[in-house]
Amino acid sequence: MTRLGRLLSYSATLALLGGAALAEDVTIGLATAQTGGLAFADQPSLAGFQMAIEEINAKGGLGGKYMVTLDIKDTRSDTGATVQAAQELVAAGVKVLITPCDADPSIAAGQISQAAQIPTLTFCGTTPTITDAVGDYMFGTYPADNGQAALLAEHAIAKGYKSAYILKSPDSAYTLRLPEYFAEAFTAKGGTIAGEGSYGLGQQDFAAEVTKIAALNPPPDVIMTAAYEPDFPAFLKALRGAGVTAPVLGSDGIDSPTTTGLGEIANGIVHTTAGFAADGTPLGDFYKRFAEKTGSAPETVYVATGYEIPYILDAAVTAAGTMDGPALRDALASLEGVTVLTGTVTYKGTNRMPSRDITLVEIQNGARTPILTATPDPASVPAP
Amino acid sequence: MRNWLNIPVTAWTGAALLSAGVAALAVGLKLGLGLNGENIATLALLQIAAVLALAIFSGNSGIVSFGHSAFMGIGAYASGLLTMAAAAQKSALPTLPAWLAGHETGLFVALAATAGVGVIAGVISGLPLSRLSTSSAAIGTLAFLIIIHVCLVGARDITRGSQTFYGVPRLTTLWVALAAAVLMIFAARLFRETRLGLALRASRENEVAASAIGIDIRRARFWAWVASITCATLVGALYGHYLGAFSPRDFYFDLIFTFIAMLIVGGLYSTSGAVAGVLMLALVIQLLRKAEAGLGLGFVTLPQVFGLPQLGLGLALLLTIWARPTGLAGLSELRLATFTRRPDEAPPQPLTQPARPKPAGQALSVRDVSVRFGGLTALDRISFEVPMGQVTGLIGPNGAGKTTLINVICGQQRPTAGSVTLGGTTLSALPAHRVAAAGLARTFQNIRLFDRLTAMENVAAAAERNGRSRAEAEGIAMAELTRMGLAPRWNEPAAAFAYGDRRRLEIARALALSPAFLLLDEPAAGMNPAETERLIETLEGLKAERDLGILVVEHDMRLIMRLSDRMVVLNKGQKIAEGTPDQVRADPAVIEAYIGTKRHTNDQQGS
Repeated sequence: MTRLGRLLSYSATLALLGGAALAEDVTIGLATAQTGGLAFADQPSLAGFQMAIEEINAKGGLGGKYMVTLDIKDTRSDTGATVQAAQELVAAGVKVLITPCDADPSIAAGQISQAAQIPTLTFCGTTPTITDAVGDYMFGTYPADNGQAALLAEHAIAKGYKSAYILKSPDSAYTLRLPEYFAEAFTAKGGTIAGEGSYGLGQQDFAAEVTKIAALNPPPDVIMTAAYEPDFPAFLKALRGAGVTAPVLGSDGIDSPTTTGLGEIANGIVHTTAGFAADGTPLGDFYKRFAEKTGSAPETVYVATGYEIPYILDAAVTAAGTMDGPALRDALASLEGVTVLTGTVTYKGTNRMPSRDITLVEIQNGARTPILTATPDPASVPAP
Repeated sequence: MRNWLNIPVTAWTGAALLSAGVAALAVGLKLGLGLNGENIATLALLQIAAVLALAIFSGNSGIVSFGHSAFMGIGAYASGLLTMAAAAQKSALPTLPAWLAGHETGLFVALAATAGVGVIAGVISGLPLSRLSTSSAAIGTLAFLIIIHVCLVGARDITRGSQTFYGVPRLTTLWVALAAAVLMIFAARLFRETRLGLALRASRENEVAASAIGIDIRRARFWAWVASITCATLVGALYGHYLGAFSPRDFYFDLIFTFIAMLIVGGLYSTSGAVAGVLMLALVIQLLRKAEAGLGLGFVTLPQVFGLPQLGLGLALLLTIWARPTGLAGLSELRLATFTRRPDEAPPQPLTQPARPKPAGQALSVRDVSVRFGGLTALDRISFEVPMGQVTGLIGPNGAGKTTLINVICGQQRPTAGSVTLGGTTLSALPAHRVAAAGLARTFQNIRLFDRLTAMENVAAAAERNGRSRAEAEGIAMAELTRMGLAPRWNEPAAAFAYGDRRRLEIARALALSPAFLLLDEPAAGMNPAETERLIETLEGLKAERDLGILVVEHDMRLIMRLSDRMVVLNKGQKIAEGTPDQVRADPAVIEAYIGTKRHTNDQQGS
């Protein structure tokens, strides 16, 4: 063995020993909604998150040296309970806090962890104002509403649509602001808004809104909405029943089997999703691995987006070399092009809502086909 | 001393005890569990304050309000706008009207302003609400919940609409929450005992009887609503400063259902119950939260199961409704006697009523009263007088129109023609709750007591109506209870009394109004001969003792013949006879109405 070789092997051994000696236990706190109205998104997100943490721990922990324990608290989809859970977790000294898939509890919890300088990530909160509302320790992970809207607007212009009708509901930020972001991006690219309608969440009867659309002259080229179950199917049935044939653009809220189950009337719908699990793609492989592990394939993409978060954290911890709050915050904010299941994630140059790939899918005959996967051009994304 | 500032001392000590208990628990949690204990205590204290704000209206009126969470929302937004840092406000609310922007006040200034908003909101919503019947009022509060929610979502410039309203400084510390809870304990406990609170509780137990002793139910509900809503907006402001970020959704159905569940589990009818309900459910939730993270029981380890708190909440509610329909506390309030096991209050001293100045020649006159329901004539030009100092008996077979006539006299039925006057007042034109003040008190055929109120409260509620102080009203009530032989049981709920005693209690309540005239509607109905005999003795004594005009409606001939100085006989809506009992007994028209015609009798004999 040469001197150099010996030196290298010594240092490698030292590094290994040192690494082992330095291995540290850290706790990540999850104040997420495992029951109640947000459980549909938070439950699968948690399942993915736990699987990724197990994998990372098996490989030596975050950044190769931090073995992670999870402290999971259910918030019952209640903001007051989320505040309580966040306070408990912060007091328990967690290094990272994960918050529910919704702006209210995420901001309320984030205000607590922000004061304690604990980096905080929301599972799949899509409201782009979440991060600025809280401050520099708050990070989004899921495609933001304005990004989804921008990609839908790009698609609409590319298809040659000149005028769009938007249907929104003031009952939630998602159903209200996403169509408004779309209108902003669409008009910025030269489209016009032919009109807009409003509905209440869970309204059932869309006769009035549909009559208004059918009476438009000239008819709009495309109809855009962020409605989801049970409003979207009800709206679509009424719309097609009234003889309106304009194509419909939707958001990731309709990325569920219900939409493909609508049959013929769903043909031609284009909507956004965080990722499409085609065979041979990293996402498709993950779905297979998840099915092998748990016995059933993921029912929603939230499993995958939840799974991606520990890997985003891993990249940041590796870069920072520590899990101390300020250093980890800076490392997260500087991440660029981290490869995850659904593409890449970048925080650098953003307001901590990630710039990341979004997929457009089209529904035909009860099946989805991906038609475009792209990161929306930052210049065309409406300000939050 | 029984009363202090017009409120029973037991209520003051009860509130102080309850506050001390709550404070001890909160401080114990903080010392025992550190920061986590402090968090748990802060939220529980806010819940106590919120549930008590709800109880001020719902507990006393018996009308469950679904609207309170929305008014809490108004408080949270109003106060949050004022305390928010100017920089945060600029980014969160860029289109905020200038007059609302940049105040950056402290918590107490914001709370003062919020109280003003609460009063205005309470008055605006209370006006229509107090005009609704009891069952519609609950639905009305549901409408407020929805309307306010829609308004909060719609006022995007001020509230950010359905988006999160953030940047509210988190000023609600454990001590602020404790102060709020203690203040609300005193407010809710003392409110029950005020004239308004007692009137409202009486109306909760029996609306018709409450009106008959002169309680203006609309007015009582209105002011209780305003007080309750003002408290709710203030508690809402503190809840907002606890959350730090919220949206209209956080003040919608889920929140009010939790509070109503707590109120029902603890007991709708007492302040101690409301506090017990919050503590009980907070305890269940906290324990199950620990359990849901996976529980080691030594030999087995339970897996992580989410949703246990909700399950526990549902079970607690179900068990309460099944095993204790009036809640954990039932009707009882926490008091010193709860610990010392001996009565902590002496009965009030009986107080003789000051003689009522009576205008000479005053009489209750029924003049040409006719009532027609569509084509049916229920009363046809009835006239008679009930003089002072005498007993007038009103009899008639079933369907004669007696009940209709009583309803006209008591202001519950407007006559189609004619009038009923007492002295210079036209009773038949007054609303039912003003008849008592004009000098006419009554009892009911089917006894109407305030069942869940004590005998003392039943009678004092009436005595208090004449603007008397609480102490004076209790003295008069005690005198009337003594007169009816019920004094030893003054502190028992009316529901616990036997039938004959219930009659006497009702008469005591009517007498506590110090009326000029007393209307007894079938006082012997449902009584056995021995009870009737006692009643006759009581009434004869009353007649001898007091200068009182009495109108008795009765089926029991023995009673009415013995008691009456004069009698009026109705049949098929017409007055068929009037005179002394002997004259009436001999009147052929009366005999015909009661027994049938002679010819009819002959026919029967002939066949």
